[in-house]
Amino acid sequence: MSTAALPDAGHADLGFVRRYIFSTDHKVIGIQYIITGLVMALVGVALALLIRLQLGWPDHQWTLLSTLFPAGYAGGVMTPEFYLAVVTMHGTIMVFFFISYVLVSGFGNYLVPLQVGARDMAFPFLNMLSYWIAFLSALVLIASFFVEGGAAAAGWTAYPPLSAIAAAVPGSQLGQTLWLLSMALFIASFTMSGLNIVATVFSVRAPGMSMGRLPLTVWSYFIASILGLLAFPPLTAAAVMLLLDRHAGTSFFLPGGLVVGNQLLSTSGGSPLLWQHLFWFLGHPEVYVLILPALGIACDILPAFTRKPVFGYRISVWCLVAVGVLSMIVWGHHMFVSGMSPFTGEYFSLVTLTITVPMTIFGVNMLASLWGGTIRMRVPMMFALSVIALFGSGGFGGLFLGNATADMQLHDTYFVVGHFHMMIGGVTLMATFAAIYYWFPKMFGRTMNEALGKAHFWGTFGPFFIIFFMQHFVGLEGAPRRYYAFTSFDYLQHTRGTNLAISISAMVLIAAQALFFVNFCWSLVAGRRALPNPWHATTLEWTTASPPPYGNFADREPVVHRWAYEYGVEAPEGDFADQTVPPRSVPVTV
Amino acid sequence: MSIAATHPDAAERGDLVRLGLWIFLGTVTMLFAAFTSAYVVRRSGADWQPVWLPPVLWVNTAVLLGSSLALEAARRLGLSQRVASAGSAYLIALALGIAFLAGQVVAWRQLVAAGIYLPTNPSSSFFFMLTGAHAVHVVAAVGVIAWGTVVTWTVGSRDAVRWNTTTDVCCLFSHFLFGVWLYLLALVSFS
Repeated sequence: MSTAALPDAGHADLGFVRRYIFSTDHKVIGIQYIITGLVMALVGVALALLIRLQLGWPDHQWTLLSTLFPAGYAGGVMTPEFYLAVVTMHGTIMVFFFISYVLVSGFGNYLVPLQVGARDMAFPFLNMLSYWIAFLSALVLIASFFVEGGAAAAGWTAYPPLSAIAAAVPGSQLGQTLWLLSMALFIASFTMSGLNIVATVFSVRAPGMSMGRLPLTVWSYFIASILGLLAFPPLTAAAVMLLLDRHAGTSFFLPGGLVVGNQLLSTSGGSPLLWQHLFWFLGHPEVYVLILPALGIACDILPAFTRKPVFGYRISVWCLVAVGVLSMIVWGHHMFVSGMSPFTGEYFSLVTLTITVPMTIFGVNMLASLWGGTIRMRVPMMFALSVIALFGSGGFGGLFLGNATADMQLHDTYFVVGHFHMMIGGVTLMATFAAIYYWFPKMFGRTMNEALGKAHFWGTFGPFFIIFFMQHFVGLEGAPRRYYAFTSFDYLQHTRGTNLAISISAMVLIAAQALFFVNFCWSLVAGRRALPNPWHATTLEWTTASPPPYGNFADREPVVHRWAYEYGVEAPEGDFADQTVPPRSVPVTV
Repeated sequence: MSIAATHPDAAERGDLVRLGLWIFLGTVTMLFAAFTSAYVVRRSGADWQPVWLPPVLWVNTAVLLGSSLALEAARRLGLSQRVASAGSAYLIALALGIAFLAGQVVAWRQLVAAGIYLPTNPSSSFFFMLTGAHAVHVVAAVGVIAWGTVVTWTVGSRDAVRWNTTTDVCCLFSHFLFGVWLYLLALVSFS
């Protein structure tokens, strides 16, 4: 069929609402996800600030905060119940409503069709529906701050019985119900988005774009989406059962003999561990749903700033596949202290340590991609390098936690907090910033300020590493997570100085984000105009205008002739050949 | 699966829709797999007592099978270029789909009349939840069949590609849900 007349057909006639609010264009939807995620990040970071103020200065009277949160800061000091709610909402927002929205749904939406050479997602209307359900999900979660009892307080893992009994803690009232409702909406939205990405990669690729020529970014989104589609439904099932336990008197997760407020509850026979199994069947693949796109993005950014192909492309793809498969069978390593049979624990230890093999190969491939390159230390490259640094450091901590014997000691300590913040916090955060700085010129047709970007990088990476590296040692000292203060424990008194240093580092980290927001907003309106391919990169999105038109590729359909990493070659444009350059112009190397 | 053009035509869109449905059915399968694992774990509890199954469930099973078969008949009529005749088959499928939902309501009311409520026993909790989750999907399927009926009456043979896509989606979704129903019935029957 002819595609010449398709790209802007009718689009220019659409009103503002259809073009920018209820748009079916994957680029607009991607940007909507990114902006929504960044706004949610503001909330999540504000909560992190409250946590660090409390842990750094547990005895201090906060007059301003007691005015803002009279119930949460009774007498000027944070209450334990409020601390639990703050920690719960911080974790929930950062995992599901910041990283998932910005990195997975946001950049996934924006990049996948462009990089496979499609004019849009396979199901544009479903895509729009996905965003608006996600938006509603975020609204429901935010609304839970304002209901009686406040926001959910059972942790981002929502373990019952705490999450199932309204009388257990103030946050277990309506706030927990809204949390569950919000998660159900989130899962519905994420399923639609994942379905779209899988179908698009599978079936709507440009001529010549074989699976073996897909950029690693696309591969990572493809596998992450499959993981999401398989892993999220069990959480839906668990959420339904928890809602029924909360509101319909069932006992799926509630055992007998529970006493709350000196009253024996009528529950019987339920299993709180059942929730843990169902939750972590989602929860662990979710880690890879977030991390794989981060790694894929880093892999695509590295070659543009080393001017050489990524190392071990095919092996890296197989590593992604292997990690995807293994991630579905390792969830029990979150439950080593749940009374699990030692034999089952051995199994989960073994498969968890097995997953380090493909992950390590992938990491080594990223390092080898730097070897011999002409490294250009631009802002996206600096963030991509920090992805490798945090992936290595955080992954090393994972070796301890994957081992059942070591985990018995470290479980529920700050060692775990430090580990997972480096992995699903740091790796994904750095990749998110790398992606924003790298694709900002493509998305908005302008470049971000380099000097501000570098200042932002050092203000982010330095404090981030210090905070979560030190938390490993606080954990080794035996400091338990989720405690609102350590003032009552003699054996932890000597960690108060470390906690203070962590809190001060957190302030620096948070303050540094102002540089990013200033740079982002200023560059949107006054940044230097960007060329279509400012980084001299090779993937398909750089072959079209910045920003791309509706339909992505104007009046010509891209035809792919080579893989995505044709760097270090002699070509008319320089030392690279994009994927559409025919072999007669530049010989195909792979 | 062939690769569609970057801006797919109607036939390619049909393949995309079928692929999308298969992926969706994969997620639904995972949902019921999770319910099943919870069921197996909870069934081992000391307080578990088998739930009484109202006989109307067997009638409902036959009704759902009838709906699925009617859609299959519609599809085969289309294959033999008799799309106009498929409208009646669609109407039968739609009526039987609605009848199944009504039959499920009857089953739930019979349980309630017998004093068996959602929280009475974990087995009854699972029965109401599993059949409820299945019914939600059947409601969606009835919506799809209604849409297919409208397409048959309004577009019909004038747009064979669209009609084939619609009918394939209706058939696949309905057959799948009938399979899930048989599975759930076996699960709760042999507890």
